[in-house]
Amino acid sequence: MSQRRDDRYTFDGLPLNPVEPGTNLLVTGPVLSGAREMGLRLLCSSDADGGTVLVATDSDATTLLEDFERHGGVLDRGRVRVIDCAQESGDLPEDSVSTVSTPADLTGIGIEYSGHYESTYASGYTRVRSGIITLTPLLVYNDDVRAVYRFLNTITGRIGTADGLGVCVLDPNAHEEQVVESVARFFDGRVDVRADAGDLDLRVAGLRDQPSDWTPVGAGT
Amino acid sequence: MSDSPTVLCAQPDADERAETADALADAGLAVEEVGSVDTLDAALDRSIDCVVTAFDLEDGDGFDVVDAVRDVNPECVVILYTEHAPSDLPRGGPEQVVEYVPRTVPESRERLADVAAMAAAEVTQAAYPVPEAETERLAAVQRYDVDQLAAIDAFDRLTALMTSHFDIDVAFVGLMDEHEERFLACEGANWRTLSREDSICTHTILSDETMVVEDTHEDPRFAEVDALKQLDIRSYAGVRITDKEGNAIGAVCCTDGEPRRYTRTELDDLQRFADEVEEQLLLRRRLQRDT
Repeated sequence: MSQRRDDRYTFDGLPLNPVEPGTNLLVTGPVLSGAREMGLRLLCSSDADGGTVLVATDSDATTLLEDFERHGGVLDRGRVRVIDCAQESGDLPEDSVSTVSTPADLTGIGIEYSGHYESTYASGYTRVRSGIITLTPLLVYNDDVRAVYRFLNTITGRIGTADGLGVCVLDPNAHEEQVVESVARFFDGRVDVRADAGDLDLRVAGLRDQPSDWTPVGAGT
Repeated sequence: MSDSPTVLCAQPDADERAETADALADAGLAVEEVGSVDTLDAALDRSIDCVVTAFDLEDGDGFDVVDAVRDVNPECVVILYTEHAPSDLPRGGPEQVVEYVPRTVPESRERLADVAAMAAAEVTQAAYPVPEAETERLAAVQRYDVDQLAAIDAFDRLTALMTSHFDIDVAFVGLMDEHEERFLACEGANWRTLSREDSICTHTILSDETMVVEDTHEDPRFAEVDALKQLDIRSYAGVRITDKEGNAIGAVCCTDGEPRRYTRTELDDLQRFADEVEEQLLLRRRLQRDT
């Protein structure tokens, strides 16, 4: 169990130092070989006043919540909320989950995100970790990348000013290098992930006091 | 006038609007009130830092407000403040991304004021990446924006030389203002300004590396930008110009109507042209300061 010595966000079981409130992180790497897992592990919170808002774009809400729990997340409907825009949802598991019909609807995702954020906040969970798992469908479904830029400015801006923590996952191999580089500019730091014979390594760019060289990741919580 | 961020508050009911305005003012914001899309349209200008709007207005809805704001001030933060749940709202276009505060949460006006105050001061809804130290960068642009800058003959001579040297359609020197790029000299075209979300230089100023786009149609960042097609910009090479502190104030660039590659030698030459512009700007600033 983590002990909060200050108001920074901590990451149990990961070789990362705490980060300042308001930090936005971009997690890059092969989604199926570590980046998605890393994103979800960064979103796990053991803070008493910690909440989580997830945007599920590449799997439905049920699958994402199962994955979140498997990687250490605590499923508590009051503090974990999901926007499902994966277009494959069946019945919604609970009212803490809402849907947006397509990843192209950035306005809908943004409004749902703000709504869940406010509900989480109003429930007393004021240290909100927000995750977009993953950014790839948003970029694929929106021909004009400028719409995604506006979305990212809006989301990262709210996280930054509300002293939250933002975690977005992106597979760099799925996009042109120029797009990855421009998307990375919306984030304070970048966590690169790679899988080596089944073991995960990470390295961090853009943040001080974090491992900048490839560092083995533990087995998890 | 105070230096407080300015928020425009659009709600149809005058009493409710006054209560919302009071909450926003208590959060340190300068507030202007309007009751309809039409009156909002008339009140909009680039001094507005944030717009708070109800969804249902007598002559339109919240997305009409967003459209009006984006026309005048594309980077401005817009916050929907409504009793409608997200799922009850019609779907907006992808360019309409907004903030949202539900009136259904406890003490919603106070919560709205918190969100608006933070957003007005620190957040942008720009459709482009903004440099990290944007406030300092804009101050640097102002310092260099001395009188008669656009009339400096040296820039006209340089850009004319560039078009013949590189055998390109257009060469220009641009300053990157808060909302748009302003062309100080432009050989081969009669461009005056270009919005930041349309300008390739918006990306050039982010890095000290030379920016080359061999074919805008093949680059996903620019393939959908209509303005580039209208200006017949198919290829681009640009180098940012900075002040002594490293703030990017603008760029020196080449464009052409055909896809094009640049050799290492050509890029070195472009860097030399940019160095020359930087020196000229510094010189003009010193002269202005000394007189």
